[in-house]
Amino acid sequence: MTTNTLGNNTKPTRWSNRLNALCTQENIITIVVSIIVGVAVILPLITLVISSFLVLDDLGFDTEWGFGNYIEIVTDPVIPKAFLNTIIICSGCTVLATLLGVSLAWTNARTNCPGRAWLEPFNLIPFFLSPFIGAIAWHNLGEPQTGLLNNLARDVFNIEGAILNVDNIWGVIWVTGIFFAPLVYLFVIGSLRRMDPSLEDSARTTGAGLLKTTMTITLPLVMPGILSGAIIVFVTSAGEFGVPFKLSAPYGWETLTTQIFTKAVGDDANHYLGATMAMALGAITIFLIFIQRRYIAPRSFETVTGKGFRPNVLDLGGWKWVAFAFNIVFIFVAVVLPIISLIIVSLHPVWTGEIVAEKLTFINYTKTLFFWDENSIDAATNGILNSLFLAFVGASIAMVLALVVSYMIHRTKGAGSAILDFLCVVPIGFPGIVLAMGVLVTYIQTPIYATLWILLLGYITRFFPYGQRNIASIMLSISEELDQSSRMAGATWVTTMRRITIPLLKPGIFAGWILLFVIFLRELSISIILYTSGTETLAVGVYYLSNFENEPLTAALSLAQTVLCLICMFAFRRLAGKEALTA
Amino acid sequence: MSQETTSNKYLQVNNLVKWFGDDKAVNDISFGIDEGSFLTLLGPSGCGKTTTLMSIAGLHTINSGSIQVGGLVYTEPSQSIFLAPEKRDIGMVFQSYAIWPHMSVTQNVSYPLEIRKFPKSEIDDRVAEVLALVDLTDMASKMATQLSGGQQQRCSLARAIVSSPRLLLFDEPLSNLDLKLREQMRLELKRIQNEVGITSIYVTHDQAEALVMSDDIIVMSKGNIEQTGAPLEIYSQPVNKYVSNFIGVANLLEARISKLTSPGHAEAVVSYEDMTVQLPCKIGVGVKEGDDTTISIRPENVHIIREKTNDQCIEGKVENAIFLGNHVDCRVSWGNFEWKVIAHPRDRLKAGDKIFLRFDSEHTLAVQ
Repeated sequence: MTTNTLGNNTKPTRWSNRLNALCTQENIITIVVSIIVGVAVILPLITLVISSFLVLDDLGFDTEWGFGNYIEIVTDPVIPKAFLNTIIICSGCTVLATLLGVSLAWTNARTNCPGRAWLEPFNLIPFFLSPFIGAIAWHNLGEPQTGLLNNLARDVFNIEGAILNVDNIWGVIWVTGIFFAPLVYLFVIGSLRRMDPSLEDSARTTGAGLLKTTMTITLPLVMPGILSGAIIVFVTSAGEFGVPFKLSAPYGWETLTTQIFTKAVGDDANHYLGATMAMALGAITIFLIFIQRRYIAPRSFETVTGKGFRPNVLDLGGWKWVAFAFNIVFIFVAVVLPIISLIIVSLHPVWTGEIVAEKLTFINYTKTLFFWDENSIDAATNGILNSLFLAFVGASIAMVLALVVSYMIHRTKGAGSAILDFLCVVPIGFPGIVLAMGVLVTYIQTPIYATLWILLLGYITRFFPYGQRNIASIMLSISEELDQSSRMAGATWVTTMRRITIPLLKPGIFAGWILLFVIFLRELSISIILYTSGTETLAVGVYYLSNFENEPLTAALSLAQTVLCLICMFAFRRLAGKEALTA
Repeated sequence: MSQETTSNKYLQVNNLVKWFGDDKAVNDISFGIDEGSFLTLLGPSGCGKTTTLMSIAGLHTINSGSIQVGGLVYTEPSQSIFLAPEKRDIGMVFQSYAIWPHMSVTQNVSYPLEIRKFPKSEIDDRVAEVLALVDLTDMASKMATQLSGGQQQRCSLARAIVSSPRLLLFDEPLSNLDLKLREQMRLELKRIQNEVGITSIYVTHDQAEALVMSDDIIVMSKGNIEQTGAPLEIYSQPVNKYVSNFIGVANLLEARISKLTSPGHAEAVVSYEDMTVQLPCKIGVGVKEGDDTTISIRPENVHIIREKTNDQCIEGKVENAIFLGNHVDCRVSWGNFEWKVIAHPRDRLKAGDKIFLRFDSEHTLAVQ
């Protein structure tokens, strides 16, 4: 190869050299992506802060600057109570989810509980499903008059009244608790699996029993993982909209999210007050996420020895069947029972609480799924098509951003990478409904308002960090030299990405794509703020049916969403493998 | 294209400086090598050798200085010149081999040619030729992940040389292999480099590798060049204590030059604790009469004798003698100083023997 084809530095000036040096493919692409990510993440939050200081006058037309919104959220008759309810729900949910998540992870990783290997995927199913659907299903199970379990109790045991009532704050804690238990599970399972068994063995040799060892050695060692999981659950439940909306708000227990929703849509909508509440909620969650990232997550490495040995498991003796039963009961309560209730209810033309075999029908599925059918309900059929579009396009765009951002954080390592790392944490710190309020007040006067594009923007901004984490974990395990050797072989940055980096990251990219696809399919709290007639999503369709139609139609669409999510879950597990989601 | 050059060497590195934050990884070093030769950058980890290599490769930018190869300026920050790594026409063998696991051996090796848009038939010919050279013809259709460590190594080398680049870089390529394979690959690498004749720079911390393979060695420490020279020169005439200790094994003792006897030769007073001996020696560059220096004597240049022959012998006791087949590895105590000595098995030394040590003035070196 002659020198002519390579590098051309004939009498260049210093400035043109400098310009040439800056205009590399790598720089241009990364700068463009950084600006997109920066604007998408920061702009809504800035607008949110500004909006919270704009006070709407009594006529509802003009605004003036002031602290009026902040005064109102303290003096309003409902909002302080909603705040208190949110705190109670978050605390209860965190305790329940942590207890369930840690005990399930411990049984699966550290004990000889029978069948623990095949139980794990079932334990994780709620992670892929929508808690809102869970709330609908449990409403069908535990409603005092028409609840299936209550009717069963009345029929079988001749009990008067109801044994169970989930339409209150405890029902919210119950449903969010079982649905968020997998989050804690995923945070602790990794360190439990990798823990050096000699740490436990040495405790046993000092005479400590099984219980004592677990309480004084095992659990304290994974405490950082437990705390991280607990904080994530607290933050996630604080931002949860669907469950309180279905189970507690109609019965007098408002939460911050249901109040933000009330203020964001409806006849007496006050976006500025909604933004202020979103600010308050976001301030709490971002603070907790900051604590988790700064102080708790770094400590979790201390417990891990990192050796690839297979740890011994504890012999539970006869108690292993108790552990097994506990695990089975969790799966039954969190997955099987809700799905059965949805199937039963969805097959009835109207739901009265009684199973009527001769009236079973598929009419609810025709009305909610078959968009070509003349009796179909637009909100439901639109929802399916819109959600499939949003999930497909959204996941694809988000993974492209995630790929470039991961590359910048873990490969380029320039000055911008610390900022990008920060930008990837911020969206995780803000509940969907908070970010959606920010997006709403930012873009309400632009043409994208009331289109699918504003939903797409909200989805991607809120969730691309999930995809980023999926890619980053694989990128960190692939030697940088594989990229470098391609550059040395003469390939440009773009060619290297196309032929080396992306093919190597393919499993991570696909897994991240499916994860985002499933998140977008079930997304409710962003959609509920940003949708308008015609841009309903699947979850908004469920909300519409639940609010304006009847329970059997709701159940039919809920089941359709659940089936879609389960299919994605199987695809995800096949592609990503067992350890993919663990912290 | 010809560019005015500051030197007539094929590769010329001038005043290279590289900072990592507050650490000066490479401190103003300059060197050059001739076309077709094999240069080794040798030093412990953190000495700046890999940083220098990466700077030549363009895998990171430098703070000041310049690098040029065959008249083409790779980088010169003062002129804002930075040639992207892919434009430098370099073949590189990485420590981890960096064989792409999603490609077959043939795909890996033909990649640089595809990038350079060679016609298909020529790619096939060249890949076959190079695979034969590295003895991987049978493995051509195997996936890269099915290769053993040594085969991955050779695949990586094939990929680096297939496009006949203007420069070949090696970043500790043998450090992941086991000892036996490593010794075999040293010779193999050197043979192949000889055959293709591409100018090569090799980075290692293994002095044996450097001595076996190189035309020239640069010994580095803490971002500086300690010594440059051919392997024999570096080994037999280290310029300072650092080099003589790093290359091979040496007995190092403090000494004072008492008088110069002839050009390049002197008498040195060696003292250790309360023992003193006067030894004739050769002196290194810049050593003057009256200087405090370090005496460096290789173990194979220390002779064990049973009878004292003159005053320049010292008396010692054999502490242990390890029989290693063709030689005996001895430790001889002289007061509290322990001499490392390589003796012949026929001397039949055993621990506790009282013996004398004799030195040749030609192999006794006083360095700074």
